[in-house]
Amino acid sequence: MANTRSAPADGDQPDRWEAQLRKGALEMAALACLWNGRLYGLEIIRFLERHSRLVLAEGTIYPILNRLKAEGMLASEWVEAEAGHPRKYYSLTGAGRERLRLMAGAWVSFSQGLSQLLEPVLDTKETPQ
Amino acid sequence: MTQDMQIENYLTILRLHLGPLTIGEREEIVLEIGAHIRDSAEEPGASIASVLARLGPAEKIAAQYRDGLLIRRASRSFSPLVLLRGTLRLATKGFFGILVFFLGLFGYVVGGCLLLTAFIKPILPANTGLWFDGNGHMMSSGVLFPPPGSSAHEVLGFWYIPIALAVGSLSLLFTTWAIRTALRISQRWQSRL
Repeated sequence: MANTRSAPADGDQPDRWEAQLRKGALEMAALACLWNGRLYGLEIIRFLERHSRLVLAEGTIYPILNRLKAEGMLASEWVEAEAGHPRKYYSLTGAGRERLRLMAGAWVSFSQGLSQLLEPVLDTKETPQ
Repeated sequence: MTQDMQIENYLTILRLHLGPLTIGEREEIVLEIGAHIRDSAEEPGASIASVLARLGPAEKIAAQYRDGLLIRRASRSFSPLVLLRGTLRLATKGFFGILVFFLGLFGYVVGGCLLLTAFIKPILPANTGLWFDGNGHMMSSGVLFPPPGSSAHEVLGFWYIPIALAVGSLSLLFTTWAIRTALRISQRWQSRL
């Protein structure tokens, strides 16, 4: 009985780890969406869906944008839209661009190092004895 | 229930749970989430129910805004109460928060007690001090009732006052700095919380 209960929990571990990894990258991804210009919340979410595998509860992104704005990484402005209601557009500030550059550099360096480490793991089909 | 009523219900719950924020902040958040719902509902194949499900519970979104605000305010504050409140909220999120909360509490208690004993020393000089035994080992410090027996001797005398004031103040300052730093670090991690 104990084994049948623990097996699914163990199987969930990589999923939970991956979810944490995705969430951890969300701030950088949100900043990266705005590199080429301003977007509003829903556009950021759709951009993330198209250009990354960061599938998230859509409500998660707004508190993150709010915090990044409070930290001076983002600026926002309300723009009247044809849809009949205003939309809040976000854009990167100078400090936001600088932080994103630093984060991107650290991320690439980190992932390259890990990729080298993991290369043999991915090349091997069977676990070495 | 009509679609407009579904949206209004959702936004009302959101507004209610954004309590600690200013009215201006609250209304801006509600306006933004309302715009998101209406824009999403216009996408092909979308319904209000599916849009709200993808957004997640309004209480959960509001809690993320509240946590962000509380930790942001605390990380800029010098008030031990505000800082400890921020760390207490952080403590509900994981081991790092629990560690910061208890270390912060310890630092403030030690610092506060040292300052207090510095003020008590002139009133109860025989009961307040730093005592060593005959072998040079520290026995006790602070305010003791009754004071240690003849086997112990108090080593600082009235030097206890400036030393306790200095060490107590340093303890409070270091604890404040450490908590503010931890809260600022935690803000980077907030999307994981």
